[in-house]
Formats: sequence, C-alpha cells, structure tokens
Amino acid sequence: MQDLSSLPIKVSDPWKDPAANGWDVIDGRTIHDNRTLEADVVIIGSGAGGGVSAEILSQQGLKVIIVEAARLKTSDQFNMDEGEAYRDLYQEGAMRATKDAGMTILQGRAVGGTTVVNWTSSFRTPHETLNFWRDRYGVDGLDRASLDPWFAKMEQRLNIEKWIMPPNANNDVLKRGCDAKGWHVDVIPRNVSGCWNIGYCGMGCPTNAKMSMLVTTLPEALNQGATLIHSAQAHQLVIEGDTVTGVIVHPLQNDKQPTGATVTLKARAVVTAGGSMQSPALLLRSEAPDPKGLVGTRTFLHPTNFAYGIYDKEIAPYYGAPQSMYSDEFVFKHGVDGPAGYKLEMMPMHPGLNTALVGGYGIDARQQAEQLPNLAASIALLRDGFHEDSQGGRVELRDNGEPLLDYPVNDYLLDGTRRAHLTMLEMQFAAGAKQVRPGHHDAPYYKSWKEAKAGIASLDYAPTITGLGSAHVMGGLTMGQDDSHCTVNSDGSYKYLNGLYVIDGSVFPTSLGVNPQLTIYGISARNATRLAEALSV
Amino acid sequence: MDQGINRRGFLKLGAFGSAMLATGSGLALLSGCASNDGPATGYRYFRQQDIELLTPLVGVVMGPALAAVNASAEDGMKAYDDLLEGAMPGTRATLFQLLDLLQLGAARWFLTGTWASFAEQSDEQLQQTLADWSAKENSIARMALKGLTQPMHMAWYVKPEAARSTGYPGPPKKILA
Repeated sequence: MQDLSSLPIKVSDPWKDPAANGWDVIDGRTIHDNRTLEADVVIIGSGAGGGVSAEILSQQGLKVIIVEAARLKTSDQFNMDEGEAYRDLYQEGAMRATKDAGMTILQGRAVGGTTVVNWTSSFRTPHETLNFWRDRYGVDGLDRASLDPWFAKMEQRLNIEKWIMPPNANNDVLKRGCDAKGWHVDVIPRNVSGCWNIGYCGMGCPTNAKMSMLVTTLPEALNQGATLIHSAQAHQLVIEGDTVTGVIVHPLQNDKQPTGATVTLKARAVVTAGGSMQSPALLLRSEAPDPKGLVGTRTFLHPTNFAYGIYDKEIAPYYGAPQSMYSDEFVFKHGVDGPAGYKLEMMPMHPGLNTALVGGYGIDARQQAEQLPNLAASIALLRDGFHEDSQGGRVELRDNGEPLLDYPVNDYLLDGTRRAHLTMLEMQFAAGAKQVRPGHHDAPYYKSWKEAKAGIASLDYAPTITGLGSAHVMGGLTMGQDDSHCTVNSDGSYKYLNGLYVIDGSVFPTSLGVNPQLTIYGISARNATRLAEALSV
Repeated sequence: MDQGINRRGFLKLGAFGSAMLATGSGLALLSGCASNDGPATGYRYFRQQDIELLTPLVGVVMGPALAAVNASAEDGMKAYDDLLEGAMPGTRATLFQLLDLLQLGAARWFLTGTWASFAEQSDEQLQQTLADWSAKENSIARMALKGLTQPMHMAWYVKPEAARSTGYPGPPKKILA
C-alpha cells in the first residue's frame, strides 16, 4: 500500500521574511487608516495574468503596485490539509457554484491566484481556437504563429516540460485505456522544477517545486521594486471622465470583511487581472461604460463531467503528479463549432473532494468513500462557446457586490456530457476497471461496457442530477476588434475607458479546449510587454 | 423526446423555484421561523433553528461515516459549520435562504415530500424522506438536496481522522525549515 504519511518535507520558504529580502509587502489586515498610494501601474490580482504583468512591467523600470484580495499564504503554511486549503486558497472556500447549483466551481483565491492550486497542466492554445477567435471576433495578432514565441518564453520562464516520470496509477488508467482503444494519448507538459511527485498541487505546493506565480514572477517583481498589498479587495475603479485614474481598495480582516479603511491607489494605467468573474464584477461595481451590455457575458467553464472506476489493484489517486496523461481524441472530432468536443484527463482525488462529487447518502455513500484507494477518476472538459447553443454564463452581482455566475446547464452541455460519459466508461473498462460509474445522481456502478452502454441510454440527463463542475473560469470581457461583440481590444485595452487594461483569462472569447494557464501566461506576456512599451515612451 | 419542450418546462420550473425561494424565506421571516439571532452557542455561523433543522439530516446522510470514527451528528454539524468559514457572506446567505425555506411545512412537502419536520422523523422515516427526495424530478428539490448534502460530505471528510477512515493514509509531514 502506498503511504506517504511519514515522509518528511522540509523546504525553505522564500517568503519567510519578505522585509529581509527587501520586498515591500503590505498586509491589508493592518490597515485601519485611509491612505493614498501612487504608482505607474496598479495591477489588480496576482495570478497568471497579474503575476506575469507585474514581472514584465517592473522589469521595464515602471513602479508597480499589485493588489490581492487573498491573505498571503506561502509554503511554510502549505501543510497539505485538504480543508485548510479549500478555506484559504479557493474562491468562496471551494463552495462556489453557478447560480442554480448546476456546476461547482474550483477557482483559486491566493497570492499567486489559481496558479497556487492548479494541477500544473500547461498546453499551448490550439490553432483551431485561435483561428475561431480571429474569424468570429476579430482578434488581431494572436494567431498561433504570433503567439508561439510568447509561449516559448513563458515555457522557459516556468520550466514547462513534458513530465518525465512514469504516470501515477490514476493517470496510467488513461494511458492504458486510450492505448487499448487506439485513441490519441500523450504526456502532459507541467510547470515544475524538482517536483517530489507527491500529489498536493491542489493544496499549495509544499516543496515550491510548482512554478506558480508565488515563487516566480511575484518575487521577481518585488525584487524590481514592486509593492504587494494583500488582504485587500479592489472595490471600484476611479473613473474621471473617460479615463481610469486609480482604484478604491478595501483592506480585509481575517474573516474577509472590510477593516473599514479605504486605500486609494492612483496610477497612469490600471490592469485588471482578478480572473474571470472577479474582473467583470469589478467593472460592474464601477459602473464602467458598456454601451452594449456585454460585461460579464460569455463566461465559460469547460463544463467538466466525471467517471469513477474501481480497480482490483491499488490506484491511490491522492498521491503522485495529479495530471500527467491526456487524450485529445475527441476535442475537435466533430469540427470546431459542432457538438461539444472534450479533452480527457484524470483528476486527483482526496477524501473531501471525492465524497462531495460522488454524493449520495447513508451506507451507499460510505461504501463509495471507502473505495478511494482503488478509485480512478477520469474527467472530460467540454469546449463551450463555439456553437450558437453554447453562449456560456453571465456574471451578476449579489446584493453585496460579490460576483455570481448565472450559467444554466442546457441540452448542448448535457448531450456533450452523455457522449463523454460513454467515452470515459469505454476507456476505463478497456483499462481493466472492475466497475465504472458516470458522475450522475441516478447512475449505479456498471460491471461491463455492455451494461454501461445500456445504462447510460436510460439515464435522465437533466441539470443538477448530472454531475458537472469546473476548474477553468474564462471569458466575461470578450477580446476582439468586433465592437458589436467585444469590450476589450486585442492589446488588452478596454474599449470605452482610457487607462484600463484587462490582462487575464477574462478576455477569452470562448473556452480553449486546453487547461488555460499557458494561454493566460502567453497572451499576458505579450500584452503586458506592449503596455510597458507604451508607458515607457 | 422533444428537447425543446423539455427545456421550456425546466426553465419554468426553475423560475417557479426561484420565486418560491424568495417568497418562502420571506414567509419564514414573517412567521418568526427565520429570526436571525446570530449563531448558536458553540457555532460560528449556523443559527439555533439551523441546528435543530439540519442535525437530524446530518445524522442520516452521514450516519455510517460518523459511526466509523465514533462521532455524533453534532460533530458532523460542527464540521459543516467549520466549512462555512471559507465561504463568502453571499455564499452563506444563499444557504441560509434555503434553510429558512425548509422551516416551512409547505416547502418541506414540496421539496422533500413530507410535511413533518426532520426532528420529528425517526431514522427510518428520514431514510424514506431522503429516498423520496432523491427521486424528485423538480429542479428546485434537486438543487436543495445537492446544495445541502454535498457540503456535508466535504466538510466531514476533510477532517484528518475522517479522511483516514476512507483508506487514505494522509499527507506527508511538513517540517518547517
């Protein structure tokens, strides 16, 4: 039996004493007086978009202030406790869901953003997706040939390489299943350096091997003189005439409630990089001009469905690099804009996530919980946003200004889910599963592929009972030169305000068909570099 | 199957459900069932009426899981309360709206199939209520069941002792350098 519980992990934390590094780090929890700070650029959010922008802009000699709502938490505190990770490193304590509870959303809320908790999969954006953006939304200068140098730059910066170790047993299921079916399968490129292969990417890497923003771009920006204010929520943009001149920030207490103080940040340029949902919500709270009412629309999730296989041999889905094998066999099988295509990957499973997803109650739920050591969990990420029946969700504000995503689960997604369930069950039986169950409230474990096919044909594919979740929130501030559908230009500038730039995954006109981090890194590097040039003139 | 009619039917039910949530919690407020006196003693978020409402349900949903480590339904409720710490005020408000609604007999009948409060039902009756509730085809009942029970599992099984009871040996040991 695999057991890492006695493995000691002792690694030094570069954030142990920020002041000793010469870093200007301000803890919002200590701010009780109103104050005003000035910089060349204020960056709202410290994740994939904000981190990359902060490094590039500060390296050009610009004074940068980074604002982050989350409290600083670093490797000394990354103790691999699942509950503490959800509480401290995820939006809404990992209880975020779409408005009608149809899809659960795992999105990071950390210094370093989702890069602190993602599973490290790093893919370049597919040509098909970038061509679709160019043809349908007038996205300019972001075709694959133009972006490839930016991807190469970020791959080098974050040590992105195909994983060289053998896959863990969970990912080996995908490899064996796809090989048996003759389907495409390949090794996932990961942003790690000296990875211990223990499996806790989703809880904050305890060894600092994951090349998240927390240990790469943010330290470099601070070395270059940037200021980080954490535990501080960007509340509203300061808009004077048709120009953004700053941001009103509310420092937060430990309980995420405002301390009551106001910090006003003034800058020549404001970059919103809070990620999808957060960036559109900031514009909505600020009542930013939006003549066509597009802000917050076309928010996409890669709606993700599940299949659980039980094996005779131990799988230990909680240990080892969480994602190392994938299949693109079905991503563009029916064209770019046909029925939903899907990418196949595996999902790491720890007891909390497993039981929440598997659901049920009483003895049945308990029996499934106890099967965890022999469980393999496959996932299919549906490409949303490429078809007229796939318009994504809309970000709204709750009464208190928090974002809420209204994204009803429709027949287009349910059809894609049914097909993906069939694919995953076929794959897991081909990999030797004893029994497999799709993520559906009404589905039992099936004992054979034949039984599964018949069972799935009789399932009611309806919202809520069909298990769907997301770890990829994208869009909401659509990029492109087509003003009738887009609010952001291809260089990241907001169409209706001067001085405001959107540099995060919010700008994607559709979902991607791949895990989003490298796309965010590449486009952010390109647009932050352009912004640095514009501001340095 | 005519998918168009199916979807329209669903949307109508969804709108009805949202209206019921809004008016139902309003009614609960008026009838005094949802008086917000703040958190119950020993809890950070759940109010006394939530404890009375949910503890019996936690006992049945999580029963075998709790028994495996000699824990009580109250321990399950405390874990649930801990989970809410990470949530935002808006997340908690949505949950409380649903709990307020379930204080009303008519809403319990609509959502779960029984007028009786959970506290008045035996374990066997609660098992039957959960079975009936699970089989409901209206979207708001499905939302309510998932919205209430999914966090119960997550809340309980992230506790290290509960986690190890699934066969998970636990994480490596972090030692400060």
